This record gives sequence, structure tokens and C-alpha cells, in this order.
Amino acid sequence: MFAHRSSHRLPHRRLVAMAMLVLAACNPSGSTSPSASGPGGSGGAPQAPTGTLSIAFLSDVQTLDPAQGYDVVSWPAERLIFETLLGYDAEANIVPLLAASLPEVSDDGLTFTFTLREGVNFVQSDGTIVKEMTADDVVASLNRLLNPDLLPNASPVASTFFALIEGADAVAAGDATEASGIEKIDDQTVAITITEANQTFLNILAMPFGAILPADSPTNAEEVTASPIGTGPFLLESRESGQQLTFVTNPHYWNPAAQLVAQIDFRVGVDPTSALQQAETGDLDIMADNPPAGQISALLADDTLTDRVFRSSLVATQFMAMDVSGDTPLNNLLVRQAIASAIDKENITAIAHLGQPAPCILPPPMPGYDPNCDPYPYDPDHARDLLAEAGFADGFDITLYTTTNDPDPAIGAAIQQDLDAIGITVEVIPQAFDVLLGTIVIPHEAGMVYIGWFQDFPDPADFYDPILSCATNVEGNFNLAWYCNEDVDALAADARSEPDSTARIEMYRQLFNDVMEDAPWVPIYYPEQLTVVSERVRNFFHHPAWIFDFGSYDIEE
Amino acid sequence: MPVRPLRRINDRRWTRLLRDPAFWVGATLVTSLILAATIGPSLVAHDPNYQYRVSEGGLDANGDPVPPGGRFVLGTDSLGRDELSRLVAGSRTSLSVALSATFVAAVVGTLVGGVAGFAGNPQVTFGLGRARYQIRLPVETGLMRLTDVVLSLPAILLALAVAAVVRPSQWTAAIVIAALLWTATARIVYGRVLDVKRQDFVLAAESLGVSPARILVRHVWPHVAPLVLIYATLGISAAVIFEATLSYLGAGTQVPTASWGSMVSDHRDFFTTQPSLVLLPGLAIVMTVLGFNLLGDALRDAFDPRQVSVGEATERVNATSAVSASSEA
Repeated sequence: MFAHRSSHRLPHRRLVAMAMLVLAACNPSGSTSPSASGPGGSGGAPQAPTGTLSIAFLSDVQTLDPAQGYDVVSWPAERLIFETLLGYDAEANIVPLLAASLPEVSDDGLTFTFTLREGVNFVQSDGTIVKEMTADDVVASLNRLLNPDLLPNASPVASTFFALIEGADAVAAGDATEASGIEKIDDQTVAITITEANQTFLNILAMPFGAILPADSPTNAEEVTASPIGTGPFLLESRESGQQLTFVTNPHYWNPAAQLVAQIDFRVGVDPTSALQQAETGDLDIMADNPPAGQISALLADDTLTDRVFRSSLVATQFMAMDVSGDTPLNNLLVRQAIASAIDKENITAIAHLGQPAPCILPPPMPGYDPNCDPYPYDPDHARDLLAEAGFADGFDITLYTTTNDPDPAIGAAIQQDLDAIGITVEVIPQAFDVLLGTIVIPHEAGMVYIGWFQDFPDPADFYDPILSCATNVEGNFNLAWYCNEDVDALAADARSEPDSTARIEMYRQLFNDVMEDAPWVPIYYPEQLTVVSERVRNFFHHPAWIFDFGSYDIEE
Repeated sequence: MPVRPLRRINDRRWTRLLRDPAFWVGATLVTSLILAATIGPSLVAHDPNYQYRVSEGGLDANGDPVPPGGRFVLGTDSLGRDELSRLVAGSRTSLSVALSATFVAAVVGTLVGGVAGFAGNPQVTFGLGRARYQIRLPVETGLMRLTDVVLSLPAILLALAVAAVVRPSQWTAAIVIAALLWTATARIVYGRVLDVKRQDFVLAAESLGVSPARILVRHVWPHVAPLVLIYATLGISAAVIFEATLSYLGAGTQVPTASWGSMVSDHRDFFTTQPSLVLLPGLAIVMTVLGFNLLGDALRDAFDPRQVSVGEATERVNATSAVSASSEA
């Protein structure tokens, strides 16, 4: 999903958000490894948990309906209340959560049979048990996700990630209410069938979109948000819109050992500058947004904060997409290669403060990352030659869209100057994040777009299928470069179904090198997360799949 | 209340102006601003929009701005641009927006206030068939109520609404400022015209059969002109502040053009680490506003001693009517 950094100017937005993950261990300061993250987590106090963990966000929680939420604030809130069949441990390995074990996979790789965990209760906000979870709830939840009549909108992933479930197209078209590929075997067993082999399907199910709700859940997201009924470790005690969400421990949770604090407060609408001050003084436990760029150097240099500042790589890439198939000089490969060679990524990374220059598409923590991939090093002279060879020695005019969120406009200005040096005149158009999302789904509307892509799940497919594949080269999708290379697409299809993971990762390495040859993107930098916590916080770490796993942090009274 | 004939007292006014320290301080500040905006850009060493890279020394290894001193006299900003050059370029932006907006506002305000005050609600007679009708054309009422309506608009919200519809730039900012600023001039001119219109010398001219146009130009305008100049001077400082406010909010001057307001806004986060990036453009705004305010005050004290301040203009209009009414009685 698209990178959404903190915004100073637009507190209201409905947005596609960021997912997150680092496969490599990313515990930056050697803090103790988390004691409990999902099932099987050992440790945790046997007595009732105590203490309140407070977290500050600039943006509000948009929704608590797992079928709708797709942003960095809604996801962690949903994950306190709801659970999915599968989850991730602290190293981002897939582990069973509401499933009793990992699914049995049929020989053709198309059918996944889940046995459900026993004794899991749906609990409503006041702490009373609604019912026990059964296979009916799982079948209903996945069908609910595919339902085109959900309010206010159909789920953003019904036609993408989850469309590979057999019969999903019939549900989407309104011809059926239940997909044939979602089948109840008995009260504790569910089988899910997909239409073509896909090695990343378990990751898809682990996204919060796959959360299990009671079978009779309303179709309206507002009702779910007002009184969410889930199986998770926390209950929504109260919500004050634009101010705070208060979560308290679920007394009937199936894994009490994983409950470390009595209460979690999401303070929303907090400006990063004030959040930073509050975290430093201890009025706030965790600042979830990155600190303002102007204060990062001082923060990293402050010896008194060393134990409380956590920095790690995100599985994300900030990049500039170029319209490869539109009616501009960008449809010329030489022009795109010239642009890719003209941008000083070191300098832009320095302006952004938190990140590493990005020579290629996949970020280092993602399997398939190729450290030797660097097809377009910074070389403005070579860029001018390429531009002349393409027949644009005198340059041309082009637009660059980006967000209004810090530091994107500054980066737009830096790109503007880099391209001006080779004769290309760039008009930078900053748009509010949600406005920009509307602009970029219209084919060829934007010549160039600077934005970031954060993983939805820890698999390289997430950097191709939703944003570079031929299937997304139609209006309404996020193929920002309007790129379609049939050969690369064929390789992607092979990679999706390749059962051998080593061979599969190698295929993705090749795939992204092939994409870079076509230069639909100029990768700019791989961003990092910098988090300041209070002295009371224990077990803090950046989770490689979620960035934050608030349920697994403890607090010292 | 009688208005004294002009020529006799003009000398005394100039003397009073030149003896006023506020005039000299204001004039010095304004003159230096004008010099900065006109010849300043050719004196500074760097292009205000050029971003010196890390490799060129414009940013340090961490990507932070370079502090004042050395090659960059006042340091660089968060993008590696020379701060001094941007301050100078910002003076040009500020002044061009403020002067153009104030000029338009002064012309519109004078026309609206002058017409409303001089024409009043004239009675017109027209025939329709054999019947003859007399009606009052609500010129004065219409124009002055329009002024009230515009005065009641929340300035910032209006500007943000405009910025949401059209792509904001320094010129949309100038238009918004002009669209709001003319009301002050209109009310002041209106009040003064009402006042002058009832004076004996105007009544005398009317009774001698002098044409309204000649009365307007010969007898009314000389009393209004200094007011327009004074309030335009004070209006410039209001326009400078408003341009800075709009740019601070992102609804005014856009990148890469330097504007003091956006320079403050862009570097809020650097306030604790590199305060000069916020303080210097802030100081430039303060000095400019102070300069035009002192100059305007000095002009007003010299040429229009009865006025107190722009903020009291509304009361002033009412007071003028009341005084005129009582003197008539």
C-alpha cells in the first residue's frame, strides 16, 4: 500500500495505508526479544495485567471494520480487537492464530484446509461473551469481505488480493452470496480453494482484511466501528472521535498470557512536534509517527535518549513512477533512463533524513533484494547524452505529482532541480494524500508521481502484482507507471506458483531486474522508522511485519 | 465641524511630519526594504532557488542546514538554499504582492466609498406611459451594505477556500488580499466624503451652480486624497502580514518562490535546532510591518490628526456622521 507519512496539513483522510515488514532481525538496540506475540508466546505475567500504554498518532483511526481499514492507524487498532486465521511471530514467520495449526495444503496447491482453535469466544465491548467461534463465522467473514454491497464501499481488496478465491468473481458480480471456494467441512474445519497456485496466499490471509467476525455482522462499517465484536486480546471501551480510543483487556481472551497491559490508549490528532515532547518527558509512551525531519539529527545525537530511540528499516520504497505508455516523452525508454541517471538519490536521502538511497525496487529486508542491482547510478552528463540520443536535447516540460506530507514537497523540489540540470522543466504539483490517490488511478493523468510503497505482507509479489502487473494497467488501479511487459508478467505468473522458495525468490530477483531495464520507476530511497518511547516501556521493538505490535509491549508501573 | 482650507496649513503639516521620529524610522525601514527588493537580488552571491547538494556543501552530512557564517553568510535552509538570498528574494515577493494588492484595494475602495458618499441614494424620476414615478436608487445603501458583507467574511477561511478551488500562487493571494482590503478604504473615504459634502464651501459651490463633477474633483478629492495615501500605507503592512499568513498556511506563494511566510512555515521543525531559519524571516516580516505602520502613523498624525488607527475606522465613520449631525443642528 502507499506510503503515508505523517502530515502537518491534512488531518482528515481516508487512505490506503502502509504495511510493513522487515524479514531481517531489526531490533536496533538489543532490547529483549518480545515475550509474547500471538499464540505460543511464552512468558507474560500469570496475574492480571496492569498499567496503561499510551500511543500518539497524527491521523485518526478511519474505521475498525477489518474489511475496510487500509491505513497505518486503523490496522493496529483493528488488530487489538480482531484476529485472523494466521498471524506473524516476532520474526515475521507465519504462525497459526485462530487456526489451531498451519493449514493442510492439497497436492495441487489450490486447497487450504484449516482446523480452527477451540474455545475462542466473540466478546462485545462491555465484556460479555456473544458466542463461541465456529466454522460458520469464518465462512461468513470471508464472504462478507467479498460482498460488493458493503457500506460505505466494497472492500478495497475484494477485487485484488482476495479475488483469487474460487467463486469470488461471482460474489463480486452479485451472482452469488457465497463463494464456492469457501467451504465449511464441519464446525471446526474450513477449506479454502483458490483458482491458481499462489505461494503468497497465506500472507494474504494474514492481513487484517482476513479477520474473523461473528457470522451475523452488519454490512455497514459504521456499525462495526461503533460496537466491534471480535476475538482479540482487547475490547474497545470508548471512542472520542478525533481525540482518543481506549482499549481494555478482554477478560475472556483465549490466551491470557499474551495480555501484558490492562489498557491501551490511542491518542489521535497529536502533532508530531508535541508528540515528541510528550514522549521525551514521559507524558506519552510511544510516538507512532516519525519525528519531524528538522529534529532527527538532534534526537539521534542525544545521549540521554539512546535507550529510548528505536530506528529500523521499513520494507518500503520511495520512488518516482513515470508514465511509460502515455503521450509524453516519457514513453521513450532512453528518456526514462536519462531521468533515472539524473536524480541525486544520496542528496534526497539526506534531505529525508531517515533512509538509504534506493538503486532498485525491492528494499533490503525483502526476500529477492539484489545488492548488486544498480543500473542507473547518478551521472548527469550521461543523462544529458541519453536525452540527446532520444532526440530531446532541448528538454521538455512535464508534471510531477506528490503529496503535501513532509518531506515530499521538499523532495519534489530536489527532483525538479536535478531534472532542470539536464534540461527537463518539471512542474511540481503537491496534492493532499487522498486527493492524490484519486488522481493516480486515472491512466496517464500524471506524467510523473513521487510516492512510497509499503508492503502489505512480507513477500516480493506485493511489489509487483498490485502496482506493476499488466492486470493493473487499467483505470482504478495503482499501476502508476501504466506499465505492462508481457514477458515480465509471464515470469511473475511462474513465480507466483513456484513451490520451491529459493527458486521463487531467485525468479523475483530476476523479475525486478527486468523491470528496472524498462525503467518505469526511479526508486529514490528505502525509508526507515524512528520511534521514541517513554522510560516505562518494556519489550519495545519494531515488528518486521507490522512495524508496531502494540499488544506485545509491556509497561513498568 | 469646519474643515480648514488646505493651502494655509500645508506647510505646518510638512513641518510636523519631518519632526516626527516615527516618520524617520518608518521611512528608513521602508527605504531599505525597497532597496532590498529592487537592487538586493543583484547584490547577493547565490541564486535564491538553487539547492546546494550535500556534495556541494549546502547541507551537512546528516542532511541538515549549514549554520550561518562562511560561504553562506546566514547559512542555508533545509534544502541547501542560501538563506540570505532567499530573504532578499522574499522581500521582492512580499513587496510586489502587498503593493499590487494595496493599489487595487485603494482604487476600488476609493471608488466605492466616494460614489456611495457623494451620490447618496439619488432620487430619479421616470415616466411609464402617462404615469410618472419617483424612486430612490439605493446606491449608497447598496454599496455600503456590500462593504459590510465583505467586512464580515472570515478572511483566512475565504483565502483557504479560494486556494482549494484554484491553484494557489502569490497572485491569487494578492487578489484575495485586495478583495478584502478595499473595505477599510471604502468606509474611510465614505465617511470623509459625507463630511466634506456638508461643508459650507461645497454648499456654496452647489448653490452657485458648479457641476457635481467639478465639485468632486476641485473641492472633495483634495480632502480625500491624503486619507487614501495614509490608509494605503497602513494597508501595505496588513497585506504583508496577510501574504505571510497565507503562504505559511500553504495557500499563498508556492515553491520554489521565496516568501517569508512559507520560509517560517517550512522550518517550524527546525526551531529548536536551527532557530535562525524561523527567526530571520519572522524578523523581516516584523520590520516590514513596523516600517509601514510607523510611516503610515506619521503621515496620519501630520495630515489627518483626527484619525487614530485603522482599527477604529468604523467608529470613526459613525463618529463623523454624529459630529456632522450635531453641527448641523
